[in-house]
Amino acid sequence: MKRRVGLLALTLLLSVSMILSACSGNSGGADDDAASDGKVSLSFWTLFDGGDGANMQALVDEFNKTHPDIEVKNTKLAWGEYYTKLVTAVGNGNGPDIGISHSSRLPDLIDQGVVTELDTPAADAGVDWNSYNQNLLSAVTVDDQHYAVPIDTHAFIMFYNKKLLKEAGLLGEDGKPVLEQSADGFVSFLKTLKEKLPAKVTPFALSNNNDDPFRLWWSLYSQLGGNDVISDDLKSAAIDKEKGIQAADYIQKLYTEGYIKKNDPDFYKNFQSGTAAMTMTGVWTTGTWESTKDFEFGAMPIPKFYDQEATWGDSHTIILPLTQDEDEAKRKAAMIFADWVADNGQVWAKAGHIPSKPSVLEKQEFKDMPYRSDYSEVASVVKFSKKSTKTAQIREEVAFKFLNEVWVNKMTPADAMNNMEAGIQKILSE
Amino acid sequence: MKFKKMRTEMQALVFLLPFLIVYVLFTIWPMIKGIEMTFYKWTLIKKMDFVGLDNFRKVLQDREVWEAIWHSTFFVFLSTPTMIILAIVLALIANRKSALQKFYRIIFFIPSVLSVAVAAYLGLFVFQPYTGFVNSVLHLIGLLPQNSEIFWLTETNLAWIVITVVTLWWTVGFNFILYLSALQEIPDEIYEAARLDGASDSQIFWRITLPYLSPLTKTITMLQIIASYKVFMQIYVITGGGPLDQTRPIIQLIYQTGFRNNNLGYAATMSYILFFILLVLSVLQYWMNNRKGVDR
Repeated sequence: MKRRVGLLALTLLLSVSMILSACSGNSGGADDDAASDGKVSLSFWTLFDGGDGANMQALVDEFNKTHPDIEVKNTKLAWGEYYTKLVTAVGNGNGPDIGISHSSRLPDLIDQGVVTELDTPAADAGVDWNSYNQNLLSAVTVDDQHYAVPIDTHAFIMFYNKKLLKEAGLLGEDGKPVLEQSADGFVSFLKTLKEKLPAKVTPFALSNNNDDPFRLWWSLYSQLGGNDVISDDLKSAAIDKEKGIQAADYIQKLYTEGYIKKNDPDFYKNFQSGTAAMTMTGVWTTGTWESTKDFEFGAMPIPKFYDQEATWGDSHTIILPLTQDEDEAKRKAAMIFADWVADNGQVWAKAGHIPSKPSVLEKQEFKDMPYRSDYSEVASVVKFSKKSTKTAQIREEVAFKFLNEVWVNKMTPADAMNNMEAGIQKILSE
Repeated sequence: MKFKKMRTEMQALVFLLPFLIVYVLFTIWPMIKGIEMTFYKWTLIKKMDFVGLDNFRKVLQDREVWEAIWHSTFFVFLSTPTMIILAIVLALIANRKSALQKFYRIIFFIPSVLSVAVAAYLGLFVFQPYTGFVNSVLHLIGLLPQNSEIFWLTETNLAWIVITVVTLWWTVGFNFILYLSALQEIPDEIYEAARLDGASDSQIFWRITLPYLSPLTKTITMLQIIASYKVFMQIYVITGGGPLDQTRPIIQLIYQTGFRNNNLGYAATMSYILFFILLVLSVLQYWMNNRKGVDR
């Protein structure tokens, strides 16, 4: 009998302790700051994997080595869950001291009160805002206040397979494509590729849905002088339908006339394995192509199809999420770190990103890396999206949805623009 | 006597207590909290505005919500009968005395141990154009001309077939195991007697086997309906809800609304609509089963 009571007590004890530990399981690494030696400890959440992740870790390690009084602890989170985790963690007071944000996501984070403006700690840390690319900086500035430190631009650029271009007689002496910079010029470039190369070679490798064709559409739309799809007061849809139709129609024809492979299940692989003459995607793939054996490729800004140069791009930035104590010493240390990362953009550029400080572009280390200098100038012509809290939602739930139908030739560009206008308006009115 | 009974009950309670505490804390409490959320504009970081019944009013007029509920319902219709019929067929195959008996049991069950992401990605690779297994086989046997491809994921109807086939392949093993054990519990004497009386195989199946399985079938039907209403992950991986949101189930919309678009209050409202549907179905099923019981 006695033994049984003992067993019961044990069961109870175990269950209670289990519940207690479940409730208190969120004591992250954020609180073990300010050790007795006066060292500032900073928790840093990132969303990078693969090459990006390794480069960021290298930066953090190097920083910790050269800054004995600051220690940055890098926590890698999965890309798909990053923003949700960041927002909920900051919401219940367990957020990190430093975080990463895309500049397109920043307005939403500002609106939700997740990030803090950082002019005071930046001044303390001696950050010189003039040392940054001003186009990038304007993407992180709201009401004259800085909310993030940009560390790169990752823009939409063009890659080409030198061997195949040569075979088609389209590679110049300088190793650059022979290509007239216009809408018609690009089509005749593709036409030659299609005629001169074996049938199994795709002239232009591109996916048939979501991000990359959207980026191309955004670039052409911007080159035509199209306004953002949201009005200046951020309250209504302001899509310039005529220009949107023209851009969508041009891209649709690339699919229907067979320059882009229909429903390509893996266009990266298509280009990487040498069965596609060219592709357009983000600069972050440079590192991937580079590490491919026997792959001769070139990189350049996307052609100037229309009146003005423009391309799609976003930017990785370092942010200071709202924390419970708002410790000034920590915030200053965080800014020292952020500015240092930007200063050492040549490391970050290994993946292919364009550094955010023009001075980095002048460093020998950067110049010694192939390809990067061929496209680094596009940082100044990137057309960032409007600083709306709804940008990501509009892109993913409206633009992708209808444009995808255009690419598979199931919706006319005109219908797509009308649907997009209505969809954008609905989201903005919510 | 009475004291003894009370003591047994007390003991039972003590043993149940750990479960009860966890259950209340992680199931009942969130459900109550969820009801509270439906009355607020509630974001991920709890910026709250009381909106009364606005969320419910909005949900009634929101076409996207009802479309998504229809998609989930459609999937229930697609998957429930196929899931049961296939499970019975597989169980019958595996129950036959043959050298391959063990082999069948393993291969029919093994996909169930995969995680949903693995199953869905496999499905994606199998059905993709140019290099996918399905199109390659169709090319090989000449059903599909060499220079054409079936684009399984850009046509709504084909996409539903892919989603259903992948789900079947991945989850049928569980029902299969239940049916297999039910089949093994049917006494051999009954079959022997039937054979002596000259019953044919199909007569045996329809008159003996199937009736014996029917209580289990009722249970599985209910569980399957509930499980299919909760479909999300495999669709999310395979089509992302596309094309044009035509395969987007209600759970995906709830997820998008709550966690991506930062509107937990409205997402909670949608959840309660789904909860209500499932509740009605469960009550209906319970009521039907009980009535049958009385008839006997």
